[in-house]
Amino acid sequence: MNILTRLLGYEKQRERLLKKAPEGPLKDYLSHPFPAMDCPIAQVPLLALDFETTGLNPKVDHILSAGYLTVDQDEIILGSSHHAIIDTDCALREENVIIHQITDDHKAQGQSLEQTISDLLAALSGKVMLVHFAHIERSFLNHACERLYGMAPIYPIIDTFMLAQRRMDMKSAGYDPSELRLSNLRETANLPRYSAHNALTDALATAELLFAEVSMMNHKTSPPLKNLIL
Amino acid sequence: MDIELKEICDFISKVTPLDRLPQSTLEQLTQEIRIRYLRRGTTVSAETESSRLMIIRKGAISLSSKSGRLIGKAAEGDLLTLLMTEPDTKEHSGEVTEDMLVYSLDTNALKDIATEPDSNQTVLDMVIKHIRGGLSQNLIKANTNSSTGSALIYNEIETIYSSPAITIASGSSILEASIKMSEHDVSSIMVTDTNGAAIGILTDTDIRRDCVATGMSTDAIADSIMTHSVRSIKPSSNAFDALMLMTRKGIHHLPVVDNNQLLGMITSTDLIKFESKNTVYLSTSIARAKDIATLAQESKVIPQLQVQLTDMDASADHIGKAVSAVNGAITRRLIELAEEKLGPPPVPYSWVAAGSQARREQTSHTDQDNALIISNDLDPKDIDWYTQLGTFVCDGLAECGFIHCPGNIMAMNPEYRQTQATWDKYFENWIDTPDPQALLNASTFFDFRTIHGEDYLLDEIRDRMLERSQKNTLFLGLLAKNALGLRPPLGFFRGFVLIEDGEHKDTLDLKLNGTAPIVDLARIYALAEGIKTVNTRERILQAAGTNSLSEDGAADLLAAFEFIGEQKIQHQTRQIKRNEKADNFLPPKDIPQLEREYLKDAFKVIQTMQNSIKMKY
Repeated sequence: MNILTRLLGYEKQRERLLKKAPEGPLKDYLSHPFPAMDCPIAQVPLLALDFETTGLNPKVDHILSAGYLTVDQDEIILGSSHHAIIDTDCALREENVIIHQITDDHKAQGQSLEQTISDLLAALSGKVMLVHFAHIERSFLNHACERLYGMAPIYPIIDTFMLAQRRMDMKSAGYDPSELRLSNLRETANLPRYSAHNALTDALATAELLFAEVSMMNHKTSPPLKNLIL
Repeated sequence: MDIELKEICDFISKVTPLDRLPQSTLEQLTQEIRIRYLRRGTTVSAETESSRLMIIRKGAISLSSKSGRLIGKAAEGDLLTLLMTEPDTKEHSGEVTEDMLVYSLDTNALKDIATEPDSNQTVLDMVIKHIRGGLSQNLIKANTNSSTGSALIYNEIETIYSSPAITIASGSSILEASIKMSEHDVSSIMVTDTNGAAIGILTDTDIRRDCVATGMSTDAIADSIMTHSVRSIKPSSNAFDALMLMTRKGIHHLPVVDNNQLLGMITSTDLIKFESKNTVYLSTSIARAKDIATLAQESKVIPQLQVQLTDMDASADHIGKAVSAVNGAITRRLIELAEEKLGPPPVPYSWVAAGSQARREQTSHTDQDNALIISNDLDPKDIDWYTQLGTFVCDGLAECGFIHCPGNIMAMNPEYRQTQATWDKYFENWIDTPDPQALLNASTFFDFRTIHGEDYLLDEIRDRMLERSQKNTLFLGLLAKNALGLRPPLGFFRGFVLIEDGEHKDTLDLKLNGTAPIVDLARIYALAEGIKTVNTRERILQAAGTNSLSEDGAADLLAAFEFIGEQKIQHQTRQIKRNEKADNFLPPKDIPQLEREYLKDAFKVIQTMQNSIKMKY
């Protein structure tokens, strides 16, 4: 959360950026109000999102694919699933091919980054972004928006990595950082194993993990959004 | 569909009854799924939710009736239908016992998806039919692919034909051929050329019709009356096809030839004998056994008989009757052997079987239950003859593998070796002044069948007994109460059997919790309605449409009885094939999903029937 957002709050910041935004997808996105911070999480529309990238640095690395789906009224809606493979102009590095199972052939059938980001912003409108380890999605999305629209928007984010970290920090016993990996957290939460490793599966996996994390908070009623937001 | 959702699609493709749907329909369904997470302790009940079908991906839930009685548990891979408005399951509610991840499908969406692209049936129709589906209806479908066939269908010529082929060189006389055929006790002979290749066949019929009847000299060469250009069959051919070929061509002999080599001969008699290596055939060899040792040897084939019949897809009813018939034959032969030793009986008597043998529902080797009814004309000093008979036959049966009855229900026990008048008294006591425990022990005797001796002795007892039992509601009530002591399980939960109090067991007792409660129910129907037969199936059939049992109830009960019986026999057959001792305990993890569903349905039928007799008495 940047300092302005912290001072102004998401809504004020959104309205401020809306005035500056150029016509197009970014402006459309910013024109939708964010869900209220005291809204119970069960009623907050979420967009579970995952990027597969060629590396960790948005300045030199690229988004290979984006997968996302909607969580609404405490339900993950499979019909809302979206998976986009991006036709970047960089040659794929071999290790990424192995991890993400995206080959050059696949990529050639992909769509442009601009189309992908535009679709994503439309899907994200009025929702809270849900990711596991927010740094990647936020920095790559920001970078892409700056390139495409000249400015980065803001988005309220729920990060299951952070929720799990917070929960585990509260326990007196130490833990191995690898326990915070998506697959490991799912295993301890008794969620099914997904063999595929790609953006949409990980987005789905993250959404399911959020349900389990909220359950572990042991609230009598659904906790407000502000308790979960990054 | 996105390949990424394939794992979810794969999961639902294994859930009954969705497993019957084609891939395209499953993909459509996957698109409609909404994933929900239900916390432990959450109560799920129809009133609070819109109509939806749920599939449990992870976690578990306990299901209760409105009155709070546990009626089942569900876990991974199970359907959760209590939120569906149709069929009506509103009386149930669920409590999540382990955090659940569920795939939820709006029933409105299921209404819009056809089971197959061109089908009029929607997925919702199919699911409702599956939930509601009378067991009998579902089972008919399951059984259509298993033809009640013959042993021949499952065997190749290789396992049946006799070898080597009996041959005679071309140019030999008819007389020489006849002598050789007699020597080898065969009804046909192959005529071979100098290279040993078959050029023709000569049969009994040929000799009779073309030689003897026409007055031809038996010195004439065999070639003159043989059938040329012999049709032959390969050892790998199907035995049933061979029989069909013979029938079609009106022939009774087929040389078995492989790679131009004459291996042997198969006759229609071989095939028929093989087909009927069943009870009748077996009974003949038992009837000829000269001593107990030989009988004991013959009785060893009983497990094999069961295996063979199971492989033929015979019904549990058929197998029970076959095994009981063999047991009956052994008993009869033992009695004959005893009479040869003891001399003729002083007065008429009847050797009766009790329990499963009487009902003709035996499988493999079980313990023996029997008794003696002696004519009232018995002179007390002659009782020794019957004592010796009882001991000889019971011990003989034990040697043949039918162990002595642990409950001592045997003709070697003086209590159950009595005159007709005493037996009448026994039944009078059991019925008119019933004692619950005594009645429990005596229930075996209400299933009685004459194996040897005078039928009238038992028939008269039975007539008087049924006349009493029909009128005595206190007796029937106690019988019903005893019958309710054996309850079927509620269903399955993961790899376990779920029993009434919510406990888990790791094996299913197919007899105690499956067939036995149905046998008990059928007995009550018979005693209440004056039905003479003791076979459970026949009792249910005859009780159908009476005050005791509706037609539909009878159909469901029969289907349940046959299905559980089949599971029991298949389980035992697998054990026999592995050289293990056959038992009734089936681990649920060995039961395929579909069979589990049917078993669950069968349990439900038993519960319903038990509840209705509970209400009645």
